[in-house]
Amino acid sequence: MKNILYLLIMALLLSFTACQEIDNWEEPSARIYGNVIDKYTGSNLLMDQNDWQIRIIDRTWEEKNPGAVSQFQSLAVMKDGVYNNTKLFSGTYDMLPYDGPFWPVDTVKGVILDKETQQDFTVTPYLQLTNFKATLNGTNLTLECNVKAPIITGLPNLYEVKGFLSLTTFCGNSNYININEYNNLRKNINKTWAAEVGTADNKNYSLGPFPVKSGYTYYVRIGANVNALSRRYNYTEIVKVVVP
Amino acid sequence: MKPKGILGEPELFGTAYGVQKYFVQSYMKLPIEDFIYYAINSPSNNFGYKGYMPGNNNYWQAYKNSLASMSGEIYGWNVDIKEEGVGYWPYDDIRIVNVFINNFSNYKSKYDDATYNSLMGEARFLRAFFYQGMAKRYGGVPIVTEVQDPVTTPAEELQVPRATEYDTWKFIYEDLKFAMENMKPTSVTGRANKYVAAALMSRSMLYAGRVAKYTQHLGFSADAAVQGGFAGMDPSKANEFFQYAYDAGLLIKTGPYALYTKNYPDKATNFANLFLDKSSPETMFSKGYDGLTFGHCYDALMSPNPDFSSFVGAEGGPVLQHMQLYDFPALTDEQGKPVRFAKRSDIKNEMEPRLLGTCYFDGDELRGKTFDIQKGIYVKYTGTAADAQNGSNAAPINATANRKLGNKGDKYNGVLITGNHGLHANKGGENNAFMGAFIRKYVDVNRPAALANVNKSTTSWIAFRLGEIYLNTAEAAYELGKRTEAFDYVEAIRERAGCKVTRPAIDQATSSTYGYPVEASLQFIRDERGRELYGENHYWWDLKTWRTTDQVLNNRYLRALACYYVFDEGKYIYLDEINRDNRTKTAAKRSAYEKIPQGEINKNPKLLPQNPLY
Repeated sequence: MKNILYLLIMALLLSFTACQEIDNWEEPSARIYGNVIDKYTGSNLLMDQNDWQIRIIDRTWEEKNPGAVSQFQSLAVMKDGVYNNTKLFSGTYDMLPYDGPFWPVDTVKGVILDKETQQDFTVTPYLQLTNFKATLNGTNLTLECNVKAPIITGLPNLYEVKGFLSLTTFCGNSNYININEYNNLRKNINKTWAAEVGTADNKNYSLGPFPVKSGYTYYVRIGANVNALSRRYNYTEIVKVVVP
Repeated sequence: MKPKGILGEPELFGTAYGVQKYFVQSYMKLPIEDFIYYAINSPSNNFGYKGYMPGNNNYWQAYKNSLASMSGEIYGWNVDIKEEGVGYWPYDDIRIVNVFINNFSNYKSKYDDATYNSLMGEARFLRAFFYQGMAKRYGGVPIVTEVQDPVTTPAEELQVPRATEYDTWKFIYEDLKFAMENMKPTSVTGRANKYVAAALMSRSMLYAGRVAKYTQHLGFSADAAVQGGFAGMDPSKANEFFQYAYDAGLLIKTGPYALYTKNYPDKATNFANLFLDKSSPETMFSKGYDGLTFGHCYDALMSPNPDFSSFVGAEGGPVLQHMQLYDFPALTDEQGKPVRFAKRSDIKNEMEPRLLGTCYFDGDELRGKTFDIQKGIYVKYTGTAADAQNGSNAAPINATANRKLGNKGDKYNGVLITGNHGLHANKGGENNAFMGAFIRKYVDVNRPAALANVNKSTTSWIAFRLGEIYLNTAEAAYELGKRTEAFDYVEAIRERAGCKVTRPAIDQATSSTYGYPVEASLQFIRDERGRELYGENHYWWDLKTWRTTDQVLNNRYLRALACYYVFDEGKYIYLDEINRDNRTKTAAKRSAYEKIPQGEINKNPKLLPQNPLY
């Protein structure tokens, strides 16, 4: 009886391995990398980890398979405005930074991926946040910055100005202390630039005080967005605040 | 050997009874968001039903996961907003109707013309219903009118491309126009007639008009789906659709329906009974439950256990923002201090009867018991309502020495701290008014608590009632510039509701509270829908088609009405508090459309482009 059982188990195990075939498809090895550059500052766009993505569409696939429709893949952009992907198939791609906190850009067509390819994008942010100051008064933290709209014509409603606090160096809409006590301190505006600011192209905002805890190190910044697509934020740089 | 007893086309299509039997499967699956509609998921053991589920498949949690809960009309179970939807894709149901539409002409000789046309019209009504269920979610969808054979048809033809949103709504219009012109004027309960077709026309075309007019404000215009016309329409098309909705409303006015007034002069009870009286002249089309084969759990889930329910008890309560849309008493005086009430139930004195018919407050009776709702005790309360900081524990006045919170039966100096039905400090328990009131709409008063149990409820869900049609017509008329006429309808609704002001003056001043300019009186009509149709699962679709989901549900705190006894005065106050879990509602901008199911795109790439932001 036992032998029969062993035989059955053996047969069962064999049946799992019987269909094995070697996958002879070469692994994707092309690399695409680059920077997302802020047109105004000339350096990389200030953002948070994976706030928004670059869409990339494989056109070679369509050429090789008539009738096929390629769907986009999304490449994550890191918090320093750099993206890097090393596992793509060689070929011709279209690329589009999509749904970020900047004026819509045109698709870059015909990017050829073969081994190593660098493709930088220059974008025009909706808003510029400058003169960022984080002032600590005991355990009360006040954040301040200047919000500027370089292009006012056609700008969607100014939506909100929000302070982001984080306990790690990652700080922004994807990584922050998401509690109502802090969230309530945002400025919810949702007005046209003219109604909120008037004829000037910039305005100072002060947020807070945020109650912080003694003995902790915070990483803080301000984000502001306009009512476009998914309302991604333009940010200030991140400042480290040590609460004694 | 062929089994006997299988009904084929000649048996089903050859007689009116056969057709009725054939249509039952379609009626059962119509996209009606009723007591058993799951707004956020589609359990897998459910024969592939997406959101809409028939029968007693132990889906007692459906109302926990209702649209009302998701869109923040009621507060209870934590239901996150699912913008991408439940993947509703009813082409199997559409095929069943298409088989009838294509083959019924072979049996024309068996009917007189009127019956034949009426049945054909009914099939077109059913098809339109399924299509509007998709159009309000996805915008443009493939229009399939032929019955395709999956074996002999080449794949190319099976993959029907997406139609534009305009063509999709026009297709629905054509089907319903045919139905309105050909169906009989009367029908048995649960089955459609020409006025029901007109009601669907009224609602669908109003949605289409809103989509055409307001999609431009979303800022999606560069998106491929918008560019191709698959999501959104040209604003110049808006009036065409508003006109269709308006005309359908006029046709319904000539029908046999009337606003429910049987229980006058008690307008509160009258409004509550409108939803319970199965012979109500206001009901145009309803979905019935017998409590045996098909029952629902609404009664078991809306009122607290064990006094009113013998199942889990109240899973949701009315949110204060929505209650305050009605005529509602002031909670504070001119100095901002909380108004003192001699009795807790005195808060009802100034309330709109319609609100009293929609919600249960302290002192109301149900199933032989009395609602007893109080949150706690203030030893003394000297300051303004703002001092309580919306119930925050951090407020000095709310220090434990001054504010007493407790659980059922706890006392302070011999006085009960909380009511029998909440609000209790320990949060748990389904005998607890999370929001300071309970839902009355659709709650069956004649059902004893012992039978308020799982799958036992027999209340019909009213899919279309004249009240909604009046408001549809009012909004369409207003959008067409017929402002005075629009308020004739609003007045009729508010008269029945017992409002203090039945006909407010027309105010054309615009405000952009919700992202784009809206005239104050149009906003009033929109809010009137919020009042009249509260909890009837309209709110989400309204916000969606007004394109204001992300504006209204923007970090929105759901607020509670909290009653306290002020110990040193012997009086009661009501405070406006943030819900007990500090929960907020936020809808992403993409919620204007649901996501075309990826599984369908894999089968048919011609469904691309995907809707904006997915």
